[in-house]
Amino acid sequence: METQSLRITPSSQPDSVSTNKSIAETANSFGVHDTFRYGPKSIGAEILPKHPLENRLKYWEETQTNLKFTLERRIYGIHAPVRQLMERSIVSRVQRAPILPSSNLSLDILMGKDETIDFEDFLNVPEFSTDMMDMHASMEHKLGIKL
Amino acid sequence: MATTRLEQPKGGFNFDNYQRNVFLENKGIPVPKMTKTGTTIVGLIYKDGICLGADTRATAGPIVADKNCEKIHYLAPNMYCCGAGTAADTEFTTALISSQLELHRLTTGREARVATALMMLKQMLFRYQGHIGAALVLGGYDVTGPHLYTIHPHGSTDKLPYVTMGSGSLAAMAVFESKWRKDMERQEAIELVREAIESGIFNDLGSGSNVDVTVIEKDKVDVYRNYAKPNERGVKEQSYKFKRGTTAILKESIKDLVIITEGIEEMDIS
Repeated sequence: METQSLRITPSSQPDSVSTNKSIAETANSFGVHDTFRYGPKSIGAEILPKHPLENRLKYWEETQTNLKFTLERRIYGIHAPVRQLMERSIVSRVQRAPILPSSNLSLDILMGKDETIDFEDFLNVPEFSTDMMDMHASMEHKLGIKL
Repeated sequence: MATTRLEQPKGGFNFDNYQRNVFLENKGIPVPKMTKTGTTIVGLIYKDGICLGADTRATAGPIVADKNCEKIHYLAPNMYCCGAGTAADTEFTTALISSQLELHRLTTGREARVATALMMLKQMLFRYQGHIGAALVLGGYDVTGPHLYTIHPHGSTDKLPYVTMGSGSLAAMAVFESKWRKDMERQEAIELVREAIESGIFNDLGSGSNVDVTVIEKDKVDVYRNYAKPNERGVKEQSYKFKRGTTAILKESIKDLVIITEGIEEMDIS
């Protein structure tokens, strides 16, 4: 996403230029897709059009924050968004191990979400998720270490 | 996608099955029908407040799913909201905004204004681009007086002295257009709302059954559930139940299924 854009809402479809997909994310040490760990891969499923809302909801918050920071940058100078981003970055480090849910209360307070309730708070909540998560893979992903 | 997740999944709506559903639809297996409240909902401003009205029929395609459902939802002590469209969407939208208003009241320490609820509703509906099919009539009385709004599923809003929504909105609006006056009395307003809803009930196939009315005044709300019942089921002139003994008994046999034995059995202590 552009850093200095004044977009209010995200576009409904992901950028059409980035249709080249790679297996770099899911490759094992031999450089091929790791089917055991990540399941079968379908290029079709990755390229076919997604639900018109999916992209919009995925990038909604990011777009809104980006707009806010851009406006703040133009009004007060770069220090305003930098300071806020720094605070958010510090606060979002205080988390449990990546497979355990963290409440992220301090981050919610900084983002102004601590006193609101939204669909993500009561529909399909991650605490009740039955997805299997691999502790080691998650930690490597979080710290940016590739096996 | 049955893959190992690397990050905690986020809550909210899940689109994992979208492509599968599109595939099934192309194969001729359509998605199941949603329950709609093919509805007549109305609201008007009178001398001392707001009067909201709704019918009570919920439909699923050609089937009447519920003959006496509630379409006037509670938002806050001074605010109510009528919902038309997809039944589940109107119910969850109003419940969510009701919770947000309560949190807002606890934070600010004062009663939420109707405009606050309006902004929350329209911003949320706009984000979902009409995929949440909720058409609403919002009415309330706050420090700035009575307010009445309509909210369309895509997030556009109107502020008018008398409004209608839903499939029976044309029939109800015809009644309002001909009979609404400024500064009506309370009872006059209730009767006009009843008449508008009844014109929806009798002229629109998506609306039916009873009339619900809610009157909101300064610091006072009256909820009249089933204010009018124009479609009471008639009493049958005869009883069509079969008399006892209509079916002849050919033979009868009674068996004891429990066998009672006398005496005490010795305990096995080996």
